Amino acid sequence: MLRFEEVCFGYGRENTISGASFEIGDGEFVALLGENGAGKSTLLRLCNGLLKPTSGRVTVRGHDTATIKTSAIASFTGFLFQNPDRQICQNTVYGEIMFGLEYVVPDELERRGRAEEMLGLFSLDGRRDPFGMSRGERQQTALAAILARRPKLLLLDEPTTGLDYRECMTIMGIVSNLNAEGTTVFMISHDMEVVADFARRALVLSGGRLIGDGRVRQIMKDAALLREASLLPAQIPALAMSLGNGFSDAFTVDEMVESVERALLRRACGARAQ
Amino acid sequence: MNGFLGYVNGSSPLHNLHPLTKMIMSVALCAPCFLSGNHLLILGIIALNLCLFASAGGAGRAITTLLSFVKFSAVLFVLQVLFIRDGTPIFTLPPGIVVTREGVMFSLLFVLRFMASTMPLALMLSVTPVGDISNVLVRNLRIPYKYAFVITTAVRFIPLFSEEMLGIMEAQTARGVEFDTKNFIKKIRLLVPLCVPLLVSSVRKIENSAISAELRGFNLRTRLSGYKQYSFGANDVLVIAACAAIIAFSASGILP
Repeated sequence: MLRFEEVCFGYGRENTISGASFEIGDGEFVALLGENGAGKSTLLRLCNGLLKPTSGRVTVRGHDTATIKTSAIASFTGFLFQNPDRQICQNTVYGEIMFGLEYVVPDELERRGRAEEMLGLFSLDGRRDPFGMSRGERQQTALAAILARRPKLLLLDEPTTGLDYRECMTIMGIVSNLNAEGTTVFMISHDMEVVADFARRALVLSGGRLIGDGRVRQIMKDAALLREASLLPAQIPALAMSLGNGFSDAFTVDEMVESVERALLRRACGARAQ
Repeated sequence: MNGFLGYVNGSSPLHNLHPLTKMIMSVALCAPCFLSGNHLLILGIIALNLCLFASAGGAGRAITTLLSFVKFSAVLFVLQVLFIRDGTPIFTLPPGIVVTREGVMFSLLFVLRFMASTMPLALMLSVTPVGDISNVLVRNLRIPYKYAFVITTAVRFIPLFSEEMLGIMEAQTARGVEFDTKNFIKKIRLLVPLCVPLLVSSVRKIENSAISAELRGFNLRTRLSGYKQYSFGANDVLVIAACAAIIAFSASGILP
């Protein structure tokens, strides 16, 4: 789906991204982690051609981003920005969803059907003015407008920033379901709980260099790597690492409960044996 | 701050001048464009601006700024040439539009004046922090703080709005709107719906700034409380003398 080959990019003389090479396959859910200023947003913008690499090659579904228009890449990618206000430009939620569709779906009936589907999926009132809605609702509107175009690759730049738990779960639930149906997701997030709950693979960026690439479970338990990238693991993996032997495999709340129960059982058996 | 009106950090002699000197220099470089109708003099002023930009470490930016002015000026030039019919005809365009010598000379003067009179402002803002401009307006020019604040805030907001517009265009391109088209007319047509998000985000930013200023006691200010001192040096005297010479030369009528 997406391939980076020795990609370098800089806004000025210095490189913001240095020699990044990785590949994301169809249907993967990958998180991009790193401290502020590590180059995460820049790397995500390179994925759909908003930025062109100064050296190296980025290909999306086989198309070189340097030779194809970003608006053409947009026919099979969706990009959710941190700030939904930069995307919203219509007076109603329905109009906003329809606006994005006009560029990819020529049939009016098909457009209407897709817009209605999105309104239902996000439980949004199509007649409402997006500019009078809460930040979370605007973010949902922006995401609905993107998803209506049925992208094959979804690029999310901190989709849950500034959202409450309920809004965060609504958005991530929808994204997760889409991923289960085959949409590839590449997401930047500072929320390690969200990463632990939803992503399966993580890339770690530090100072523009890719310093880690692996399963989220491995990355979350690599203390040295996380320290280098100024990151803290999610709470359960952190607790599991602190408890050590017998608990270190626990990654989710359920797994931790299971590990604790097993430990208590072992202790009870040991006491009975004595 | 990015954009052609933003401050560029540096320690060049121009950066180290008194802010008032830089403002005087900006006016003095503008004045000859209107005091004289000599094309060569105005071209000289543009060249001087470029040299000053380069001395302040902003040669690249000056050339970028000038190129964007040239593109805009080209459109202005063509329009002027087409609309001025008086004078000696040079040639006639197919629908019967007469291009005259006077029309070409006047249009050339018009666009040169436009470029030469805009560059000094960009130069001044690139070597002077907005805060210093505000301080000088209040301290040296005795402009009430509220008005100085309005002027400097307006200048400060221009690059922010420009950045915001680029961000909006980026967001729309990412959803398939063809801002990467080479068709200028199409691009302009696509820009119209983007005025809504730009207006909304601009009003939000301005409202937040106003609330923030109010909460920090902006309206309670009754006396000057700035501590930053600016001193006039030999360089300032030299620059002001040079400015006076430029104005005197252009107003003298030595050049036709």
